[in-house]
Amino acid sequence: MDRRKKREKTTVTKPSTVDASSPPKISPSEAFIVTLSSVLGLGLAFYVANSGFSIDLVTDPSRTIFFIWLVELPIVILLYSRYRQNPRQCMYLRAVGRGLLAVPIGALLNCLGAIALGAPVTFQFLPKTVNWSLMMSLFTTVPASCVLGSSWAHWKRIFAQTQPNGSVEYLICLPAHGAVIGGWFGAWPMPLDWERPWQEWPICVSYGAIGGYLVGLVASCVFVLACARSQHVKQT
Amino acid sequence: MKEREIEGAARRRKITGKWRYTWHLWVTLLLHIAAIVLFTRGFLLTRTELPHYSNSSDVSESQCLYSSSHNNTTTSSWTKPAVNRLIIIVLDALRFDFVAPSTFFPESKHWMDKLKVLKEVVSKSPTSAKIFKAIADPPTTSLQRLKGLTTGGLPTFVDVGNSFGAPAIVEDNFLNQLVQSGKKVVMMGDDTWTQLFPHHFERSYPYPSFNVKDLDTVDNGCIEHLFPSLYEDDWDVLISHFLGVDHAGHIFGVDSTQMTEKLEQYNSILEKVIEVLEKESGPGRLHENTLLVVMGDHGQTLNGDHGGGGAEEVETAIFAMSVKKPPSSVPVEYDTSSCQLDLDGKNVCVSSMQQLDFAVTMSALLGIPFPYGSIGQVNPELYALGAGSWNLDVSQQLSESDIWIQNYANILCINSWQVKRYIDAYSASSAVGFSSDDLSRVASVYAQAENHWLRSTKKLQLDKKDIDALVPALKKQIESYFNFLRTVAELARSKWTEFDLRMMGAGIAIMSISLMFQVLAILRANSQDGATLASSGYAWFFSASASAFFLLGMRAVSFLSNSFILEEGKVANFLLSTSGIVALRKSVVKGKLLKESVGFLLLSTFCRFGIEIGLSKQASTSAFMKEYTSWILNIASGLAVWNHAAEVVPILVLIILAFWLYKATSDIFFGWPRKIVVVCTILSYMLIIVHWITENNRYILAFMPESIGRIYIPRIVYAILLGQLLLLVFAQLFKGNSSDCKTNLVVKTTAMLSAWSSTVILLSGKQGPMVAFASIVGGYCIMRLCDIEDDAKNGPQRRLSIGPFPVMQWNLFATCLFFCSGHWCAFDGLHYGAAFIGFEEFMLVPQAIILTLDTYGFSIILPVFGLPFLVAMKYKADLGKHVLFTQLSQMYTTYGLITAIMTTFTIYCVTMHRRHLMVWGLFAPKFVFDVFGLLLTDVLICLASLYYFDQGKDGHNHN
Repeated sequence: MDRRKKREKTTVTKPSTVDASSPPKISPSEAFIVTLSSVLGLGLAFYVANSGFSIDLVTDPSRTIFFIWLVELPIVILLYSRYRQNPRQCMYLRAVGRGLLAVPIGALLNCLGAIALGAPVTFQFLPKTVNWSLMMSLFTTVPASCVLGSSWAHWKRIFAQTQPNGSVEYLICLPAHGAVIGGWFGAWPMPLDWERPWQEWPICVSYGAIGGYLVGLVASCVFVLACARSQHVKQT
Repeated sequence: MKEREIEGAARRRKITGKWRYTWHLWVTLLLHIAAIVLFTRGFLLTRTELPHYSNSSDVSESQCLYSSSHNNTTTSSWTKPAVNRLIIIVLDALRFDFVAPSTFFPESKHWMDKLKVLKEVVSKSPTSAKIFKAIADPPTTSLQRLKGLTTGGLPTFVDVGNSFGAPAIVEDNFLNQLVQSGKKVVMMGDDTWTQLFPHHFERSYPYPSFNVKDLDTVDNGCIEHLFPSLYEDDWDVLISHFLGVDHAGHIFGVDSTQMTEKLEQYNSILEKVIEVLEKESGPGRLHENTLLVVMGDHGQTLNGDHGGGGAEEVETAIFAMSVKKPPSSVPVEYDTSSCQLDLDGKNVCVSSMQQLDFAVTMSALLGIPFPYGSIGQVNPELYALGAGSWNLDVSQQLSESDIWIQNYANILCINSWQVKRYIDAYSASSAVGFSSDDLSRVASVYAQAENHWLRSTKKLQLDKKDIDALVPALKKQIESYFNFLRTVAELARSKWTEFDLRMMGAGIAIMSISLMFQVLAILRANSQDGATLASSGYAWFFSASASAFFLLGMRAVSFLSNSFILEEGKVANFLLSTSGIVALRKSVVKGKLLKESVGFLLLSTFCRFGIEIGLSKQASTSAFMKEYTSWILNIASGLAVWNHAAEVVPILVLIILAFWLYKATSDIFFGWPRKIVVVCTILSYMLIIVHWITENNRYILAFMPESIGRIYIPRIVYAILLGQLLLLVFAQLFKGNSSDCKTNLVVKTTAMLSAWSSTVILLSGKQGPMVAFASIVGGYCIMRLCDIEDDAKNGPQRRLSIGPFPVMQWNLFATCLFFCSGHWCAFDGLHYGAAFIGFEEFMLVPQAIILTLDTYGFSIILPVFGLPFLVAMKYKADLGKHVLFTQLSQMYTTYGLITAIMTTFTIYCVTMHRRHLMVWGLFAPKFVFDVFGLLLTDVLICLASLYYFDQGKDGHNHN
């Protein structure tokens, strides 16, 4: 039913958005590049942490997550800002700026959500929580703010209704949802009595979030491809 | 045609009245009671602990030939001591294959053959030393096993008579008999012993046992005190309990280097012990007639787990060595050993015995009375190791083995008499004794043996003439006693260690049927409303409820793991917050009620901290939680400001609540009885404030006697509650309220909740007002958030049903309140202190009721009675009674269904984990709490249905 309703709505809203603010377009090859560089960024962060400092997510979650968001930050902001809405009225640098601004705000939101769900709040976990929130912010809110700016309607449509419209929005919406849902499921092994080091906050949640993010990226690539093909069919 | 249909429907409605809406609630209650009674009878094995103790003079009541008749001493003893001193070395979680040679097993593993010294001793002198495969009875946890080993019985989960919390053994046991006979006992090692036997030891060196990661502290402590003690003569029985192997298994598993190291360490310790014993073995020396027993209390799996009934867990080993050599080995009829060559080519024999027999055999060897509740038999092979078991006082022309047989027959006579005495006493005193069939079977087997004893064996022994006839008669006698003892042990095992799977299956089946019945009831109500719900139909049931079903499913499935049960509060809160986020998302989409959904999310965050504080309390009392590394915010408790705040804030909140109640009730029209109820509640609140102030304030105490504040005020509050309830029932009889149906429902609900609230707050103590405040805010948010589902699309035909999502939230929130108010699903989570509010001494019935009110007040009583708010607030207009009541009954069914699903999963999971390590520590208490909660919910739902659905006439004008 949910899906049916969604489809109804998208068919309703499509014409209106087409003429109102030209939905940002992205070709499958560009989408592929964005996905690939995000994935490579993650890989690079892990590689640097592992070979340069011989740490990984389990042994030193705080610093590893720090590397992840440090590497992802320029990749995400610089790449997504290229696909900003209304590129004529909005400077590239401005998009970069609002992306940077979204980093702490998104981190705060993610952090509050995590605390509501039971993340620890003691001081020993503070750096881990902060780094984790920054990483989640890069996965969820930063791409959206680079592309969409501060348009409440678009934010609402993408994050509250999950109705991405157009290829770039798939690239924003699906990885963000993937990261959040993955993190949610990643929290489940935490209470188990296996006494494994990775059961601590925020290690398995980060694993879940990164896994969900990757799945979301791949799925969004597929959607962009499907989108382009259908448009191609329409045009011919 | 259509008119006639409507007429028919109206008539049906008139005939059935309110039962039309509520009959299925009663059926559900009955189904649940049947299911739970059946399941509980199969699952919760109970045994009554008898307060009787064996006395040395008791034995004269039997027909047996006991030793005093030969000695003519005034102090008769049951048996003649066969050994003088006893050393028991317990190696916790000793697997059988640690001790037995690897040639006994199909495959040689590298943890085998490490305790070499035991094999060497056995192969060198097979008459004086023996290895047994000892079969333990589940539950194979250390505490239950030690209890079983010393009492000779089969401990169960509910040993009635045992006080909760204090584990000290109150039944008669081996150590108690030792102390009664004036023997001195020295203990070192695991502190479980000192918990079980606080007053029995001459000297004890206990070491904490709960730190599983520490492999050496207990063992080093044992070693430190064991060797000096071996050279001392101030004890008769020495117990040394090593824990290293158990801990190594728990942490590293059996297949680990730590385990091998531990075993090698034990090997060297045992070598030294045996060396000392042999050095001191000469006549007149310290250990002339000492028995060394090296044993495990239970086994372990390769992962180091134990507790269940698996072969690896129940199979452990007993090694026994008598320093004084018995003249011969046990007669071949009673020898169960099987022999193999070990890797060094030496012949090693291994016998088999039941751990159940340990207590009575040791008692027989030491010559002390057998523990009253023991149901074991004296093991012939172990008994034959005692050198004294081969002597006879009166010289006879008998071979050594015949003398032994005669001795053994006499002991078995006493043994059988003692077991029969216990069985008789047990079935006479216990409410849930053995069935009469079983009892008569046991009695006939015993009568047969006794008959033979009196007719031939006893006479032959006393006459001492017909020696040729004596030995066959003795053997036949032993056979018949074996038969009796075996029958009793089988019966006891079936009663106390085996779950009745058929009963449990029947319970589960009925429970599943009741779930289906509830689902059908909900669907039926939906289809009945087909006319009014035409626009939405079933659709809402699937769209809006997907997330509710998902949350329900996650929560239900989480019960399948013990870890999630341990942290159930956190899981419930996680799901509550998730539901809050889902609601927030919806309210963002609809662009309304943002305040409520954010407020709800904040509230669940506060709940989370409340639950963590509760869990920290649990951590300090529960054995399972001791190691739990919690990440709890430690509130600085030393500050004076905090103390003052803790005094003042609850009172302020309570005043706010009273004011709130006053405001809320002043603008709706209330009938006079209900008005009185509300006023009484406000009065109760004031009384509670006075009660709290007088509790700690010295100055006010000067003005009035202490007892008024402490005793009478709570009693007045209870009395007010009773009065209010009576008044509400009384008001029920009054009809003719001019107000419409919806307002009426709101008024009734408010009156009911306010009546209960004062008592619940009083019992919850200082946290009560805060929890009450939180529950009002949470309830309000959930109520308002129901509206989110309304679609503007539906226009005038508003959606009439309330999906299960708000009900699910309501239920989750109630669960969170249970944990927030500092409870958890274990018997030490009950607030026994609350039962004594208003009472000085113990009275069972009122205090049980008060304890129930305290435990389930916020989590079941208030939510169930408050549920009509969800319906009443939903409709702006009065839609008539039929719609309202259909909705309400559907909501109650849904609420009952959610609770029932949770309980059903708890039942599934205790069935699946019935042999789990933590089944008695964790699953069974959870089961008891859930089952009780379910029954209470059902009963309250039925009462609420009586109260809320009234029969008055009503125009179904709006339909």
